[in-house]
Amino acid sequence: MNTKRMMHALPVEAYTSQEWFDLEMKTIFSTTWQFAGLVEDVANAGDYISVQAGLNNIFIVKGRDNRLRAFHNMCRHRGTQLLRAVGKNQKAITCPYHDWTYNLEGKLISVPKKEEEFPNLCNKELHDCGLNLHEASVDIFKGMLFVHPDKDAPNIMEFFGDVEPCLGPHIVEELVEYQEKEGEPFYTKEIKANWKIIVENYIDHYHLAHLHEGTLNMYDHAKAEFGWAGQHYWFNEPLVPEYMADVENASPQPLIKANKSEDMRVYVPWLFPNIGITEGESAWNTFHAIPLAPDRTLVVIRSKMENASEWEFTKQYTKSSMSKVWQHYGNKGKYEGDASDSMASGDFMEEDVYACEQQQKSLSSPMFSVGARAQRGEYAVMRFQEEVKKWMEKHGAFDKK
Amino acid sequence: MSKLYSLKVLEVKKETKDSTSVAFDVPFELYDTFKYKPGQYLTLQFNLKGQQVRRSYSLCSSPVIEEPLRIGVKRVKGGLMSNHINDNLKVGDIVEVLAPDGRFFADVKKENYKTYYLFAAGSGITPILSILKTVLLTEQHSYVHMIFGNRSQETIMFHEELKQLQEEYKDRFVLVQTLSRPKSNWSDLWKTPSKEFRKGRVDTACIEWFINEYPPYAQNVEYYVCGPGTMIDNTVKALENIDVPFDRIFIESFGGDEAKNTTEAFENANLTAHLNGEKIEIPIIKGKTILRALIDEGKEPPYSCEGGVCSTCLCKVNKGKVHMKNNLALTDKEVEEGYALSCQSIPLTEEIEIVYE
Repeated sequence: MNTKRMMHALPVEAYTSQEWFDLEMKTIFSTTWQFAGLVEDVANAGDYISVQAGLNNIFIVKGRDNRLRAFHNMCRHRGTQLLRAVGKNQKAITCPYHDWTYNLEGKLISVPKKEEEFPNLCNKELHDCGLNLHEASVDIFKGMLFVHPDKDAPNIMEFFGDVEPCLGPHIVEELVEYQEKEGEPFYTKEIKANWKIIVENYIDHYHLAHLHEGTLNMYDHAKAEFGWAGQHYWFNEPLVPEYMADVENASPQPLIKANKSEDMRVYVPWLFPNIGITEGESAWNTFHAIPLAPDRTLVVIRSKMENASEWEFTKQYTKSSMSKVWQHYGNKGKYEGDASDSMASGDFMEEDVYACEQQQKSLSSPMFSVGARAQRGEYAVMRFQEEVKKWMEKHGAFDKK
Repeated sequence: MSKLYSLKVLEVKKETKDSTSVAFDVPFELYDTFKYKPGQYLTLQFNLKGQQVRRSYSLCSSPVIEEPLRIGVKRVKGGLMSNHINDNLKVGDIVEVLAPDGRFFADVKKENYKTYYLFAAGSGITPILSILKTVLLTEQHSYVHMIFGNRSQETIMFHEELKQLQEEYKDRFVLVQTLSRPKSNWSDLWKTPSKEFRKGRVDTACIEWFINEYPPYAQNVEYYVCGPGTMIDNTVKALENIDVPFDRIFIESFGGDEAKNTTEAFENANLTAHLNGEKIEIPIIKGKTILRALIDEGKEPPYSCEGGVCSTCLCKVNKGKVHMKNNLALTDKEVEEGYALSCQSIPLTEEIEIVYE
């Protein structure tokens, strides 16, 4: 390990090298509960989805007893992936290659030409041949699906239980997903930066009042409260008084009822290792950072809103566009200029993407170093790196071979 | 193992017209002996009409609250002990009791994140109530979805306590009560139908409706079933129909046609067993199953689950009669042909001869 050039707790190469990236895939993303979607993605018996979780491709299927099952998406014959993306009403799962078939409990139930080709499988029931699908784990936390590659994974509440009380009062199951195009997430973008750069940006309180001085200024960063619950980060802050005073009108969408109160706050936790939630006044979003390469990360945002009629959304939009609040808050770029320039766009996501990509670019410079760290506002950045290192250590990343 | 302890009756409480709950005072020095898991039972011994009688009654109290051990006892028609308890038992009486026991229990742990489906009918509520209370109090993240079936409003045991739990834990506890023969009054004609009860038995249709209406949230799901034999059969069948894995279902047959643990073994019956070519002749000491008798003799009969489920311990009875306490593996036809699960078999005749095939 190059110990001379450090980010904070991690070496710079943790953000640039393929070797480190592979280690993370093995010791972080294949050893943790991984975000797999929203509960409504697998709504009915027979529905399934498949997700890549670190090195494992795992599918979730709902049984007729309304319980979810998870299996490694891999035929036990020659390893072919069994299911594609999403689907419905499967009674059995058949591998496209040689038609080996499994039931929804993952048990092998049919092998074509069994008698001629596999006589050694004939003296037992097929499901006793040790060729059933490899089981994985699936569970639900706050309206989200999570999978774990180990069938005896530590239960999800042991993983998330401590941070749960720090999350917003939003009742996720009662909200409905907002999609501009049907079947597509609200936002998807491949960002040219290491996934940890993106996490660190998300949990960096110090940058809020600066990078986003004209875009996120409707929230009162000076009154933010934040901290750690185990390996998870929690954060919340109130709206600025002017916004709060007129929020019923100014909010761009109908307010989320469960979060309504006189001291309404927005909650922006980061759940280890790679899923953020933004729980706001009128939207509840998942922010999933999926590592693709040392310098590339796919960010997928899914958005849920109050279950209100189209008419109410239109009405709220009209009220919001007339509110004076937005003359001073929320949409002014940091720089003057054309809207195609991220820094003049007035869009905080574009500002973040810009900052992350610019930081990644410098990592390969021989002159690069981290000059200093804001002790409160950037404590989270260092703490996150420590958590990453600790988790990797615990799962054998640095063991001598 | 079968040591008797004398416990003093602390309270006798009429629960319904036909049932009573009895609380016992456990002296400090017996705390450890009387530790129990929610779902387990106490065995009481009385001398009634000149004979020694033992019966087991499930505990309805919870081991995690500071409350005395309490059992629920419903009258059984012609039942020696249940009627004695309902008619005669009073505060201050001393009762001979065996330490708590039983395989029907929930392994409750603080950190668990589970959905529990509880199915109870009639006095089958007794162990279910203990599991319910213990889970709600201990596992702050777990959910409980429960159906409780009764004949009519008047036969519901622990009605008030259930209502209170429902109020207190409404975020995590769903209770649906169903009545097979609800009592109606003339005055009901002017009222809108009560939402408190569903009409009908705990049967296949009811269970499928319930699970679709209240799907599990936490995905580690367990199913506990306690009631009369037919209710158990119906429930297990309904669960199997929708592919609930068998190892997630826990059952206790109860309070119906086949009251549990009421069949008395023949004391010190003589066992002849043919095992791996060896002929073994030993007595079966009271309380032991055929399997246990052999194991305690240092023999190695085949067995695995010891719960009447897996059928590893299958044997054939060539002479005499046995009773299986629990049989979830053999069909009626197999039993007729003389097959038995040795882990569940107690002798009913003096001479028993079996063979492990």
